[in-house]
Amino acid sequence: METEQNTKTKFSDMLPILFHKYGWFMVGGIVLLLLALPLLNLNSYLMNILVKVGIYTTLGLGLNVLVGYTGLVSLGQAGFVAIGAYTTTILTKQFGVNFFLAALLGAFLAGFFGLLIGLPSLRLKGTYLSIITLGFGEIIRTIIIVWQPVTNGPMGIRNIPSPELFGTKLTLYNGGLFYLVLALLILVTLFCQLLINTKTGRAMRAIKGDETAAIMMGVNVTYYKIAAFIIAAVISGLAGSIFATQLGYIDQNTFTFDMSTIILSIVIMGGMGTIRGMFVGALILVVFPEIARPLMDYRFVFYGLVLVLMMRFRPQGLLGWKDTAPYPVSKNAFNLFTENKVSFSKKLKRALHSETRTE
Amino acid sequence: MIIQQIFNGLTLGMTYALIAVGYSLVFGILRLVNFSHGSVYAFGANIVLYLISLKFGLGPAILIGILLTGVLGVLVDKTALEPLRKQKAEPVASLITTIGISNIIVNLLTALLGSQKRAFPSLFPAGDILVLGIKFTYTQVGMFVVSLLLMLILLLIVNKTTIGLTMRASEQNIKAAQLMGINVNFVISFTFFLSGLSAAIAGALVSSYYGMTYASMGYMAGLKAFAAAVLGGIGSLPGSLLGGLIVGVTESLAATILGSEFRDSMAFIILIIVLIIMPNGLFGAKSIKKV
Amino acid sequence: MNKLTKIVTIVLAVVMIFSAVACAAPAATEAPAQATSPAGSQATQQPAATEVPAQATTAPAAPADQKPVKIAVAGPMTGDNSEYGIGFFNAVTLMAEQWNAKGGINGRKIEVVQFDDKNSPEEAVSVANKIVSEKDIPFIIGHFASGVSMAAAPIYQANKIIEISPSASHPDYSSIGDYIFRNNTVIKYETQASLDIAVNDMGKKNIGIISIKTDWGVSTSKIATELIAGMADKGVKLVAHEEVIEGSDDYRPAITKLNDAGADVVLCVGMYGLVAPVAKQYKEINPNISIIAFSNAYSQQLLELGGDAVNGVAFPVVFFSVSSDPNIQAFVKSYTDKFGSAPSALTAQAYDSAGILFTAAQKVGTDDPAKLRDEVNSMTYPGVTGSTHFDQNGDVQKPFTKVEVKDGKFVLMGSK
Repeated sequence: METEQNTKTKFSDMLPILFHKYGWFMVGGIVLLLLALPLLNLNSYLMNILVKVGIYTTLGLGLNVLVGYTGLVSLGQAGFVAIGAYTTTILTKQFGVNFFLAALLGAFLAGFFGLLIGLPSLRLKGTYLSIITLGFGEIIRTIIIVWQPVTNGPMGIRNIPSPELFGTKLTLYNGGLFYLVLALLILVTLFCQLLINTKTGRAMRAIKGDETAAIMMGVNVTYYKIAAFIIAAVISGLAGSIFATQLGYIDQNTFTFDMSTIILSIVIMGGMGTIRGMFVGALILVVFPEIARPLMDYRFVFYGLVLVLMMRFRPQGLLGWKDTAPYPVSKNAFNLFTENKVSFSKKLKRALHSETRTE
Repeated sequence: MIIQQIFNGLTLGMTYALIAVGYSLVFGILRLVNFSHGSVYAFGANIVLYLISLKFGLGPAILIGILLTGVLGVLVDKTALEPLRKQKAEPVASLITTIGISNIIVNLLTALLGSQKRAFPSLFPAGDILVLGIKFTYTQVGMFVVSLLLMLILLLIVNKTTIGLTMRASEQNIKAAQLMGINVNFVISFTFFLSGLSAAIAGALVSSYYGMTYASMGYMAGLKAFAAAVLGGIGSLPGSLLGGLIVGVTESLAATILGSEFRDSMAFIILIIVLIIMPNGLFGAKSIKKV
Repeated sequence: MNKLTKIVTIVLAVVMIFSAVACAAPAATEAPAQATSPAGSQATQQPAATEVPAQATTAPAAPADQKPVKIAVAGPMTGDNSEYGIGFFNAVTLMAEQWNAKGGINGRKIEVVQFDDKNSPEEAVSVANKIVSEKDIPFIIGHFASGVSMAAAPIYQANKIIEISPSASHPDYSSIGDYIFRNNTVIKYETQASLDIAVNDMGKKNIGIISIKTDWGVSTSKIATELIAGMADKGVKLVAHEEVIEGSDDYRPAITKLNDAGADVVLCVGMYGLVAPVAKQYKEINPNISIIAFSNAYSQQLLELGGDAVNGVAFPVVFFSVSSDPNIQAFVKSYTDKFGSAPSALTAQAYDSAGILFTAAQKVGTDDPAKLRDEVNSMTYPGVTGSTHFDQNGDVQKPFTKVEVKDGKFVLMGSK
């Protein structure tokens, strides 16, 4: 009765351990590879794509904080990206402010709007909140169009200056832009990774798991929801600032609901709640359309299919690993149960099996 | 001029009301905001035009088109939403799925039929009547009449027929309805069918009003109709009607007073205000969430 | 599901390696003239794209010692506005075929390579980078929208690739660089011509403007406002200016305002997608209103969408397909025969632009970009859109023909 039918170690059982033990080596290896990339002198087309992947990964990480950690589906991320992009661009182009300072201000403004959007979460749940975020995205677009003296309306802003660091311009061609994106990406990744295990992160995950239970446990749900919005907004704003310099020209059609859909698809496909998933999601969803140019017409059909199929068959995304336990349980909890008890539910045992193999 | 603008707004609002009805029907039973409703609406209009172009004749084309759209609604439920219900997935999953479906339908339409606007024949004779100094075209009158008729029929179905009884029962408590022997899955499919039907009728009417149809016509209209449904109390049919009219008039007045570029935002502003002040809308019932 | 993870990871790895290899390999991947999805393109009413012509151009494999001359066509091939991108592609393909039939450029066949920018600046930058990294494409016809063209232009300029846009209208576009040209009317002169129709031919004095909020709409209505102010001595005045969002469908609030302000002629600053519904909705409340527009209203779609309401709409064009000029006739016939619908002004401009580039390449070859550019600058090309000569900015000036809609057809203004 106690015979464990799965004595063979499955690949997916190995992965958590692999990552845990060798995680840092793998990550370090990848980072070194990325740092060396511009030296390969790839043509500007490939570099452009890599920069794009980097930016979308960052955006995915931002939305991940909302969707993956806190369980709030935001459909208006493009609005925050737009705020970051426009603020930075206007400051650098019109007022000659240094790019990095401008980007910070842009992020600050985006965070402020994140706060504003988070406020309705006092009263609203789930779908209603999502629709409001969608409305927010559209309102930002309308503001861009009508606030002509500032945003130049439909004429857009062009000749966006490249960021300057100690006198040298960081462009696509000298690899500078790539490093800038890489730097932001590493920063955001570290931030998210650290966030998970702090009090804030745990509170967010509690909210996603079961909001009512979290309230019962004394978690200040509103505060953390708003915090999640602010964080996501800031990350999106920063990514937006760099995005604007990559494009060189922005107008109201750069930041549409389509962009929000792509970011959502990245998060869902990669695996909401996981950081590694964002990289994979962005890589697939940015690179695939480039390869499959004959299928251009159907690009958004593909994005839609991704959403539908993922939700149906693999809601944890490609790289999310579904817990075998009904809800997330910390590793220590299992140890509590195995000390003296012999028989226990098969489910817990199987999960236990892979965790305590090191004994 | 203001009077004229208000009446422009009422007609516009009627179009939103027709679409909002679809949202209410589905939300009532499933507590789900069917994001793909806008795309089903666009599908309805486009399929009717396509059938007309195949020389089907106006009447048959509309009839078949409406039925096909109803079937599409059922398909959407059966293939994408029902499995999620079986899996007891979180509501987030359904929302995201309906977004995905919306993308799929609209972009398939664009890919297969092209993106430009195509002429849609008028369903009503040209000409107008003068009432109290305000001009109403036959199309506008026709729209009012058809929409009211549709609303009445839906209300009749929901309130006076057996299937309507099962719908209301499922709305109140799905589990209890199942225990009472109601085939809940059938009721849900029927609701989606009705929703698709009304979307197609709305699509045909609106396309004839503007004289044109195109693949992406569902996006803005769908969102504004959603605002209308929420304003009226999502789940309530009379609420959708009233909500639609209010949104239409507000939009028209905003365009007059502030400028046409502010039109689209009005619906969202209404939505935000309503959700913050009275989330249940005008006619919505207060629901106590049992923990 | 663990097998799934394995399979997915492997597929991912293969895909990434494949893409890196494929994209790094020069030019070969972007197979010449990939006209997009079959059913969709054929259904479009506009200068429809069919795949057959594309492949016909490129079928003759380049003789071993003569590399083909490549010309890129970039524009929206999918999504909204795809009718325009496909129209450019068709026009350039037609011109290329005609040249190839006569032996190509100095014996080298012309190859048309299609790129889809989805009318987004983001995608355009990607496409531009792709084109410049292929290193054997000396010129490009594109893009479609001003903003998109301006996003891509700096990349072409920096890499000395000649870009001619048949449709960009932003005033600052051609001054981006000396390799950037525009074969489209300058807004100022076109607006002048349009107002001329309203004031002189129609004899109206109270002008109302309804404009779409895009870069073209905003710049054009600004110029129109200035020009009208300059005509104040003739009693002409601007009674109202309504700005609408492109694609709203319902323009009644704006129209009611214009009508109440007493407009007797309305200048529609928008493409046929604006003119048709405005005509319809305006005539519902005021059947006597006159409407003037711009050359981008000149399209079969205007007649289809507008029906009876657009009778009487007038606008200036540089290309009129019912012209008696034999060259134009020949062009219209071959275009219609091949693609199933009549060419529009923008398509004709793309056609001429390709002709200009091929003529220049014939004269000085494609090895020296600076020489090519100088040749394009100095040339005066007799095209179907009139005699074309680029000024020092890279813009052209063309004479206008006045056209109006009568009994559901486009006719020369004032003709029976």
